[in-house]
Amino acid sequence: MQYCTRCVYPSISAVPLGFDENGVCTGCRAHDQKKTIDWAERAEWIKEIADEYRVTDGSNYDCIIPVSGGKDSWYQTWYAKEVLGLNPLLVTYNSNNYLQVGLRNLKRMREVFGVDHHFFTPSPQTLIKLNRLCFKKMGDMNWHAHCGIFTYPVQVAVKYRIPLIIWGEHGYTDLGGMFSMNDLIEMTAKFRLEHAQRGYDWFDMLDREEGEEEGLQARDLLWARYPSDDELEEIEVRGIYLGNFVNWDGNEQTELMKKFGFEESPVPFDRTYRRVSNLDDMHENGIHDYLKFVKFGYGRASDHACKDIRSGKMTREEGVEMVRKYDHVKPRDLLRWLQYVGMSEAEFDAIADTFRDSRVWQKNSSGEWTKENIWGTPSAYPVPSLTESNIEWSEFQKQAVPQ
Amino acid sequence: MLKKRLIPCLFLKNGFLVRSQGFNEHQLLGNAIHQVERFNAWEVDELIYIDITRDDHYDIRRDDMKVKSESDILKILEAVSKTCFMPLTFGGRIRTLQDIYDRISRGADKVTINTQALADPTFITESSMVFGSQAIVVSIDVKLNANGEYEVYSHHGQQPTGLHPVAWAKQAEQYGAGEIFLNSIDRDGMANGYDTALIRQVAEAVSIPVIACGGVGQFKHLAQGINDGLADAVAAGNIFHFTELSGKRARKELLKAGIHVRN
Ligand SMILES: [Zn+2]
Repeated sequence: MQYCTRCVYPSISAVPLGFDENGVCTGCRAHDQKKTIDWAERAEWIKEIADEYRVTDGSNYDCIIPVSGGKDSWYQTWYAKEVLGLNPLLVTYNSNNYLQVGLRNLKRMREVFGVDHHFFTPSPQTLIKLNRLCFKKMGDMNWHAHCGIFTYPVQVAVKYRIPLIIWGEHGYTDLGGMFSMNDLIEMTAKFRLEHAQRGYDWFDMLDREEGEEEGLQARDLLWARYPSDDELEEIEVRGIYLGNFVNWDGNEQTELMKKFGFEESPVPFDRTYRRVSNLDDMHENGIHDYLKFVKFGYGRASDHACKDIRSGKMTREEGVEMVRKYDHVKPRDLLRWLQYVGMSEAEFDAIADTFRDSRVWQKNSSGEWTKENIWGTPSAYPVPSLTESNIEWSEFQKQAVPQ
Repeated sequence: MLKKRLIPCLFLKNGFLVRSQGFNEHQLLGNAIHQVERFNAWEVDELIYIDITRDDHYDIRRDDMKVKSESDILKILEAVSKTCFMPLTFGGRIRTLQDIYDRISRGADKVTINTQALADPTFITESSMVFGSQAIVVSIDVKLNANGEYEVYSHHGQQPTGLHPVAWAKQAEQYGAGEIFLNSIDRDGMANGYDTALIRQVAEAVSIPVIACGGVGQFKHLAQGINDGLADAVAAGNIFHFTELSGKRARKELLKAGIHVRN
C-alpha cells in the first residue's frame, strides 16, 4: 500500500488515482493545476455558454440544475441565478433518506433564490428492495441514489427539452485527478454507468440470482433508464461542470451560502468531522461510507482531509489524526437501515466481509481483520456489534424524516 | 475516392484506460471495456487499442464493479472483442509471431508493431507473410530531437533510434507494412492540433495508408489531419473521453469540413 506524500489517499481506493515520482497523487496534482488557471477567463467562457442557451422568448427554462439541497446545490443555484442570470429548473432525486436539516436546506434554497423545483421520489418499496439487492450485489446499498442523481435530471432535460444541465464539481477529477482541468470535460452516459453506478444498469436489477430475488420489474425502474443516444442527440443535451469554470473551494462557498441561510448539521456525524456534507442522505456519511472502509480500508474522513489539506485548511499531520479518529467507526445509522430493509446486523457484517479487498485486509491469528495504516504501524479492526452493545439511536435518526 | 476513416484510440496501462500526455503522464480513466461500448454505439469506423503497460501488471484495484478486473492482457482483449463490433486494431508489447497469433485469434483484425519492427525490420515481412499485410500496422512515434529534427523513438517513446520518420516509414512499407500509425510524442495530450507538417511528409513519402494521431484538442483538428496532413485516417485518444456523443460529434465536424467519411 502506498499513501500520497502530500494528502492522505491510499493507492487502493474507490477513485482511480496514480502517483508521481515524488509520491504525490494525481488528485493533488490536479489541485495544483487549478492555481495556474486564469479563472477570470473561465468565468467569461461560462457566460458565453449561458448566453448560448438562454431562452429569450420565455418559452422554456434556460437550464437544469440537479440539486440535493446541499452546499454545492446552493452554490450552483446561486451562480446560475445570480451570476449568470439564468432561469433554472431545479431537479431533485429523493433517496428517501433525508436528514431533517437537509430537507430544511432544500426548501429554504428554493425560497431564497426564488426558483422552480421538481422533486421526484421513487416508490419506497422499490427503494427498499434496491437497498438490499445492491448491498448484496456490490456492497453498496446506495446504488439507487447514484443512479437516480445521474439519471433522473437527464430524463427531465429530455422530456422538457432543456438541453443545458449544470452539474457541480467533477468529483473524480477533484478527488483523484482523473482528468486535466484543461479538458473541460462534460457529463457522459459512460461516466454515469461506469463510475456512478459501477457498471450496473437498471436491467441488472431484474436478475434472479441465488439470494438476490427481489422481484423487481422493468416498470419499477422507469426513473432509472438513461435517455438513448438518439434522444440525447435530438436536443443535444449537454451537461457542463461548474467546477471547470470557477475556482471551486467547498469551504469558502459554504461560508458564502451560510450567509444566505444554508445550515450545517446541528449534530456531528459518526464518520467524519465535517458537518456540511451529505445532509440529503443519512446513510451517505454513515454505512454507505463504512462499506468503503470495509472494502478499501479508508473512508470519508480521508476524503474530507484530502480536500482540506489541498486547500490549506489542514496539515497532513492533522489529516492523519482525522483518519485515525474516524475512518474505522461503525456508524449508528446502521440500526435504522437494518430496520428499514429487515436485516440482522450479523447478516450485514457477514455480507460486508465478502467485499473486503485482499490487498488491504488480512486476518490475524485471533480471527480479527487487520490492515496497514497511514501512520505506519498496522492494527486490528474487530467488528463491533451495535445491536448487542445497546447503542442508542443516534441524534441523526431522531432527526431523520419519519419514513 | 476512398472514404477517410475516423478512428478513436484507447490506451491501456496496467489494466486501466488512461489519458496520456507526452507519453509519460497517465491519468487513470477507468476500466477496459465501457468506453468500447460507447464507440460501438457511435459507429466510428475502427478502433485502435494499444496496451502501453511497461511491466506485467494488470489490476484495476477493485472488485465491486460489474466488469471484473482482469489480470492478463489476452483476457482483456477477449472481453474487448466480445464488445467491439467495428474493426479492431490491437497493439502493444508484440515481439513474436505467436504474440500476433494470440491477438488475432482473440478477435483483433490488425495489430500494431513498434519497438520490435525497429529492432528487427524483417519481423514486418514475416508477420505480413503469415497474417497478410492488411493486418500489420507499423506504429511510429516521433519527437523533435535536440537539433530540432524529427526522430523516431522506440520503447514507449523513451529511446531515440537515429531514424527520420520519412525514411523509416518508407522502409516499413518496403518490408511489407499494410499501414502506418503515426503518433507525435510532442503533441500527445497537448490539445493544440496535429503536427500536420510531419504527417504530410510521411503521407507523401509512402503509398500505404497513414493514420494520424497526437494532438487533437478540438474536433476541427481532425479535418486538418486530412486536408493539411494528407492522412488517410484520423485518430485521437483523449478527446473522445471528454464529452457526450464525442464520436458522433467528431464525424459531424468532418462532414461539415467537406471530408468524405461514412455517414
Ligand atoms: Zn494526494
